[in-house]
Amino acid sequence: MNAQTQAVLFNAVPLLVLAALYLSVTAALAPALWRERSRARGTDAATALVFPCVGVAAALVGGLALSTREPFAGHLWVSFAATLVALLPGGVFVFAWVRRGVDFETTRDADVAFETARQLRESERRLAEQSALLGAGQALTSDLHLDAVLERLVEEVRALLGADAADCWMFDESGRRLICRAVRGLPESQIGRSIPPEGTVGEAIATGKPVLRRDFAATEQPPPSKAYAGFAEVMDAPIETRGTVCGVLGVCSLTPRHFDERDLQLLDTFADLASVTVRNAEAFEDSLRQAQVQSGFYRIAAVLGAPLSAQATLDAVAQAAAEALGGEAAAVLRPRGGRLEISGVHALPDVLREFLAGDSDALEVFTAAARDGRVLASRDAQEDDRFGTPFAVAAKGAGCCSLLAVPVEDARGGEGGLVLVLFAQERTFRDEDLELARQLAGAARGALERSELFELERRSRALAQQLARAGQELAAELDPAAVLDAAVELAPQLLGAAAASIRSLEGDELVVVSATGEGAEQAIAARSSSTAWLVGDIVQTRTPVAIADTSVDGRMTDADPMLAAGYGAYLGVPVLEPDGAIHGILAVYDVEPRVWREEEVDALRALAASAAGSRANADLYQRVALEKERSFAILANVADGIVAVDREGLVVLWNTAAEHITGVPQAEALGLSPVQVLGRSLEGGATQAGGSGLVSIGRGVEEVWLSLSEAVMTDPAGGVAGRIFAFRDISDERAVEQMKSDFVSTVSHELRTPLTSIYGFAETLLRQDVLFGEAERETFLRYIASESERLTAIVDRLLSVAQLDTGEMRVQLATTDVAEVVAEAVRDVEAAHGRNGHTVVLSLGEGPLAAEADAGKLVQVLSHLLDNAIRYSPDGGTVTVAARLIPGAVELAVEDEGLGIPRAEHERVFRKFYRGESASRISGAGSTGLGLFIAEGLVNAMGGRIWVDSAEGGGSRFVVELPAAVAVET
Amino acid sequence: MTRVLVIDDEAPIRLLCRVNLEAEGMSVLEASDGPSGLERARAELPDIVLLDVMMPGLDGWGVAEALLDDASTAEIPIIFLTARAEFRDRARGLDIGGVDYVTKPFNPVELAPLVRALLDRLDRGERDDLRREKLTELRSLMDS
Repeated sequence: MNAQTQAVLFNAVPLLVLAALYLSVTAALAPALWRERSRARGTDAATALVFPCVGVAAALVGGLALSTREPFAGHLWVSFAATLVALLPGGVFVFAWVRRGVDFETTRDADVAFETARQLRESERRLAEQSALLGAGQALTSDLHLDAVLERLVEEVRALLGADAADCWMFDESGRRLICRAVRGLPESQIGRSIPPEGTVGEAIATGKPVLRRDFAATEQPPPSKAYAGFAEVMDAPIETRGTVCGVLGVCSLTPRHFDERDLQLLDTFADLASVTVRNAEAFEDSLRQAQVQSGFYRIAAVLGAPLSAQATLDAVAQAAAEALGGEAAAVLRPRGGRLEISGVHALPDVLREFLAGDSDALEVFTAAARDGRVLASRDAQEDDRFGTPFAVAAKGAGCCSLLAVPVEDARGGEGGLVLVLFAQERTFRDEDLELARQLAGAARGALERSELFELERRSRALAQQLARAGQELAAELDPAAVLDAAVELAPQLLGAAAASIRSLEGDELVVVSATGEGAEQAIAARSSSTAWLVGDIVQTRTPVAIADTSVDGRMTDADPMLAAGYGAYLGVPVLEPDGAIHGILAVYDVEPRVWREEEVDALRALAASAAGSRANADLYQRVALEKERSFAILANVADGIVAVDREGLVVLWNTAAEHITGVPQAEALGLSPVQVLGRSLEGGATQAGGSGLVSIGRGVEEVWLSLSEAVMTDPAGGVAGRIFAFRDISDERAVEQMKSDFVSTVSHELRTPLTSIYGFAETLLRQDVLFGEAERETFLRYIASESERLTAIVDRLLSVAQLDTGEMRVQLATTDVAEVVAEAVRDVEAAHGRNGHTVVLSLGEGPLAAEADAGKLVQVLSHLLDNAIRYSPDGGTVTVAARLIPGAVELAVEDEGLGIPRAEHERVFRKFYRGESASRISGAGSTGLGLFIAEGLVNAMGGRIWVDSAEGGGSRFVVELPAAVAVET
Repeated sequence: MTRVLVIDDEAPIRLLCRVNLEAEGMSVLEASDGPSGLERARAELPDIVLLDVMMPGLDGWGVAEALLDDASTAEIPIIFLTARAEFRDRARGLDIGGVDYVTKPFNPVELAPLVRALLDRLDRGERDDLRREKLTELRSLMDS
């Protein structure tokens, strides 16, 4: 074999066979490669080109070797090695395929190999997709907020598709515009932008299918925004929930033909995922809202459950409304005096509070909504021209965007109110919100009703308490005018009003007698007709008149002078006397118009009644007090002792005369029973009811005789309410009576005794049957004489008494030597009594004891004193008669050692007819009870005085003091 | 012989009684006050007592009661001899138990016949009749 054959055999043939193999492989792979061209890139493309290139190169070298029939480099083995080297890559490749178990002997096998490689790549890609979807899915489950999830989706889809940008647009609430919710690879400022659903996006939405726009830059004019300018390709897939498109998910590429159909499918898948996300997020938001609703209900339930005050309830309703609806602030507005007033608030900004409390015209829309029971909902309250500019300004100042106003019915069927909920974020209100709001309104109504009942009861109780206090205050007032003043002071406090007045009816006119508050001074004493409009009703029908808004009738000022001060509300009630006659009108006034509640009207009526009653009582009290004062003055000054005891028989009155008569001071008697005070009961002392009787009580050691009359006071039930005892000290009268009686006996005895002797001796001497001796006759005659003298003396004494009684006692004063008079008197006494066991001692000072006296009378005085001294010292003893000169007077004393006189009788012994206790015992006959009376009378007539020093059982010492004779002193 | 006890604080009265009663043959005992009169009455047990009422110390009423209380003297008739002329005093005297009541001034000459007549009637056991008579007399006096 020559070199040429060798070159053909070893170079040309293997190379041509190799070329045919490579080219056939190339031809076999060509359709698959074409199919995969869009995805073939990088090494895949390079690998695909190896086969034809190696084939062509091998054909060229083989052809060259065939034509030249020259071994390469001229040497057979070199050319053989070169051929082997040229075949080596292909051999290695094929060997590698063989090693993988792929039969690359045919083009089909090659196709399979390519397919396998493609599937491998596909698997890797799927893996990436899966992991991207997994990531997105995780985001979906881990984050419930829609925006967060959308952002994650956008990020994942961009990374997966190798896009330059990705975005997500969702329809706004209106469903007409799309709002950018998430972007990646685009400026963040895109988020929140809105576009109409047009162009590629619009097509995707309209068709409901993903759209791949290859020539985006050219067709999408203008682009959705500047940020989108420059993208070559864009894909958009619709996001559907519940059968409607709610948004789109898109990716953008700067590189043309970057995306293929498969990418489109993938995007669609992500869009589906986004749908799920949206649904989840919606469900979550629903749940959240439900939870809020629940908590709102719980809040309301809690409010309902607690017996809160009306204010607390209203605030709680506001808070519940804000919390349930997710608002930032809330207010409860309720009608009062024809406009809405803030009743309860929750986090209400001051600027809004000022607005709501301000001009009522600006609130007209709310007032109307409350009146008509309409719900007001505004997504953007600042722009909503229903509310007007002032509200817009206030809303802006408060940072409030959306607004929901829910009407709340009045629990008692009156005008309804409004719950206003304010939202900082723009907020579209859905049916659930409105339903919740309605629920809230119902609950609020219940809560308010409850709290109003509670409040009503509390207020009624407070009113009642206040009224009771007011009643007490009024009752304590004792001056009728002051009662009216007090009522006028109390009335505004009671009702929380600004002013009050009382007008009294005088003839046909009403006169303001008392008033407080503004305009009171001007109104005092103002007169107006009692038949005028308004007040005429009160006076005539005696029913209250309540005017919530006085501005509605111009005649108000004529009806009540106080209204000239510009009061907005008026409530007048009649003041009725206890007998039902009308006294006048009690009225309260408030600055602003206000509705007078029924219990307030009742309370004022009660106050008026209380005032009228108290006034009548005060009137009565004054009269009684006057009467009482008068009675006390009379009782205090009356000479009779007056003692009153109460139902229990305890002393409540003990007048001055009673003090004097009983010797017990009032302070010691009050509160005790007469038995405790006097040692005996006065009750029944009077012989018969209303009559009088005689009782004796002890006054110290004395016995006092009382003439007692008793009056029993009965209460309406007929029981004994008390007793009044009136008594007079008749001890003296009684004693005198007794003594008069005794005197008659005594005088009778005193006269009869000497008469008996005179008459008896005379008769005896006249006896014919008995002859008396001379001595006997003389004795008889002497007795007749002495007893006649005795009779004369008695008659003289009686005469003296008569003279003293009639003031006809005449004394002839002259300078008298008392010593002489004493001697004479002692002589007389000794002559009359005999010494009778007594020693009479004279103790006369040196020198003359000249007194200005009537000697005869002085003898009489001394005779009486000596008589007594002897009479009342039955056991004998010494009777001392002493006389001495003291400055300006002569003192004469008669002292015995007899029975003595108790201290209590010292004064009485000088009374007419009085005979001492001992006198009754001792003296028997012969004492008329006139001696000392006459002695005192005579001494007094002579300008002197007489007294006694004595103690019972210790003898007596009677002292007479007479003026010293002037002449003798010189 | 009838023994008469005169109890009176007035010496002239006692003398009057003595003179006039002795003139009629009666014997007269005297006492000048209540206690001594009582003592003598108990000691002497006279047939009759003429008793003054108004005396210092123990008065006539007391003496009479004491005499009537004492069994030994209870039967002695008592004639009150007194200046107390009121009816109530007479009544009191009869109540206490006196058989007669003579008011001063009296005629002493009539004293002895009175004593004698009384004693006769008492002797006849007409004490109760006497008493009734005196009461009737007093009543008719009071009525008139």
